[in-house]
Amino acid sequence: MPKVGLYRANSVIYFQGDLGDKIFVLQRGRVSLNYSDIETGKDIREVIQTGEFFGVKSALGRYPREENAVVLEDASVLVFTVPEYEEFAAKNIRIILKMLKVFSNQLRRVHRQVENLMENSQSVNPETGLFKTGEYYLRNRMYSQAKYVMGRYLTYYPAGRMAEQAGRYLEAAETALMRYGDGKGPAPLAGSPIRKNSQKSETQEDEAPAKAPSVPASAQKPTRDDGDYAKDYYNAVSLFSQGKFQEALKGFKAIIEANADPEYSSKSLFDLGRCLFALSQWDLSIQHFTRIIQTTPKHPDIADMLYIMGQAWEKKGDAEKAKGFFKKVLTMTGDDDSSARIKAKKALNAMGGA
Amino acid sequence: MSDLAAFSRFARTFQSGEIIFSEYEPGDSFYLIQAGRVRITKIVGEIEKNIDILQPPEIFGEMAILEGAPRSATAIAMDTVKVLEFNRANFEILMMGNPQIALRLLRLFAKRIYDQKRRFMILTLEDPQAKVADVFLMLFETQGAQAGEQDGDRREIKATVDDVAHWAGMTVAEAQNILGHFSNQRRVELYQDRIVVKNINDFTRFVNSRRKK
Repeated sequence: MPKVGLYRANSVIYFQGDLGDKIFVLQRGRVSLNYSDIETGKDIREVIQTGEFFGVKSALGRYPREENAVVLEDASVLVFTVPEYEEFAAKNIRIILKMLKVFSNQLRRVHRQVENLMENSQSVNPETGLFKTGEYYLRNRMYSQAKYVMGRYLTYYPAGRMAEQAGRYLEAAETALMRYGDGKGPAPLAGSPIRKNSQKSETQEDEAPAKAPSVPASAQKPTRDDGDYAKDYYNAVSLFSQGKFQEALKGFKAIIEANADPEYSSKSLFDLGRCLFALSQWDLSIQHFTRIIQTTPKHPDIADMLYIMGQAWEKKGDAEKAKGFFKKVLTMTGDDDSSARIKAKKALNAMGGA
Repeated sequence: MSDLAAFSRFARTFQSGEIIFSEYEPGDSFYLIQAGRVRITKIVGEIEKNIDILQPPEIFGEMAILEGAPRSATAIAMDTVKVLEFNRANFEILMMGNPQIALRLLRLFAKRIYDQKRRFMILTLEDPQAKVADVFLMLFETQGAQAGEQDGDRREIKATVDDVAHWAGMTVAEAQNILGHFSNQRRVELYQDRIVVKNINDFTRFVNSRRKK
């Protein structure tokens, strides 16, 4: 049976941070829940109504109290243990339903707050996320899972950006599932066998995750023409833009090693350094760019290389070296509005000027 | 659970390996496991990570009550799985006859609200280093009980760089950078699957000093 508790004005029923297993109902008097807002730090007071429950969430969820329960006027409260509360609620299911509504509203609110803060950093758009999930399963020969996800993609986004591709992947998954079974058969996405099991159209960038990695460049050489290197290069660029730096790096490396097309080899050389930087390999990226600058001082992307080297030094905590590189970017002749110049200027300002 | 017989029209069966719902899919139903195990996974980078393995009588997919929110993880049947599937429209019918399920859902929501609030506290910190430090504190709070033997102020936390990036709402490269910095200062030791924090109180003070008062 719940007990009655009597509290004097200005006393505290529980403190923030207390571990408590009691749930309260205000019968008489005035009680306020005081806490500070997570986002603004502002003090908030929530006055409890007579007949209202408080302390429910922390007791049920077994986590510390999130507020101070302060008595404003002499109060009498009913004190439940968790089992007593559950027994009581089980007989008054309306109370649970009401609580569920309150909780789900709170959950919705805090969920939205979190989402808002996440947006700036890395939240993935659901359409892309769903597609990539399916792609992951297909790449790993989990055909029935790939089939499910691609099917869902087409249900929700029939005219979506990746709908055509999803259709092809769905077909590929179905075919592979029938022909080989889950987990078996040639790699449907990774590596060269890709063309064997589906009638792919010629020039889709969708083969991106596939070919760059793992296929030794030499194996491809004899039958390739220039267009293939352009395609490989943009595949790798697309991987980079998706944040798949490791795979992009392999792609650029393959193009450089093939060394068959000077234009794309040179571009790839620069982009390989960008990958190293994106992978937080500060030293390797600095070494890589230094080598390019020494061997190809007229490389069209020198300004960008210097800028990235500056960033790498900054990441390494050497502000002086970083500034040196940013200043070097500014002394380069050429386009005044080049993005490297603008970025270097900004970086210097952020570091407290030149 | 015999009283659930009346709900057979909500019953669904999934074969082993079958996806119940996929990460990022819009969701409007939640599930009550009656038989079999369900694996909850998430694809992080190029790895499918197991988040949880659930069995009867657990509930999953309950976040579907958040209108329009895409699923945050994938649920896959590990065995032949029998579930009851409910949505916002019909869940009151279930609850009315089954206070125990309603209570279980209530406890689950209480926990979710706390988890999300704690997460929000991390994200509201402006200093990225403080964010990472607060991720340590949060993981320690949630893992504390099972973290086993702790030596003085030294704490071992089960987490990868990806986990830290996820909780701190930053890119893996950023998280790696900050972890590297802490490691250079000899405040943490980094391993593939865990992080050893040398002095947890040091990080508590640091985070508190960066929180808005």
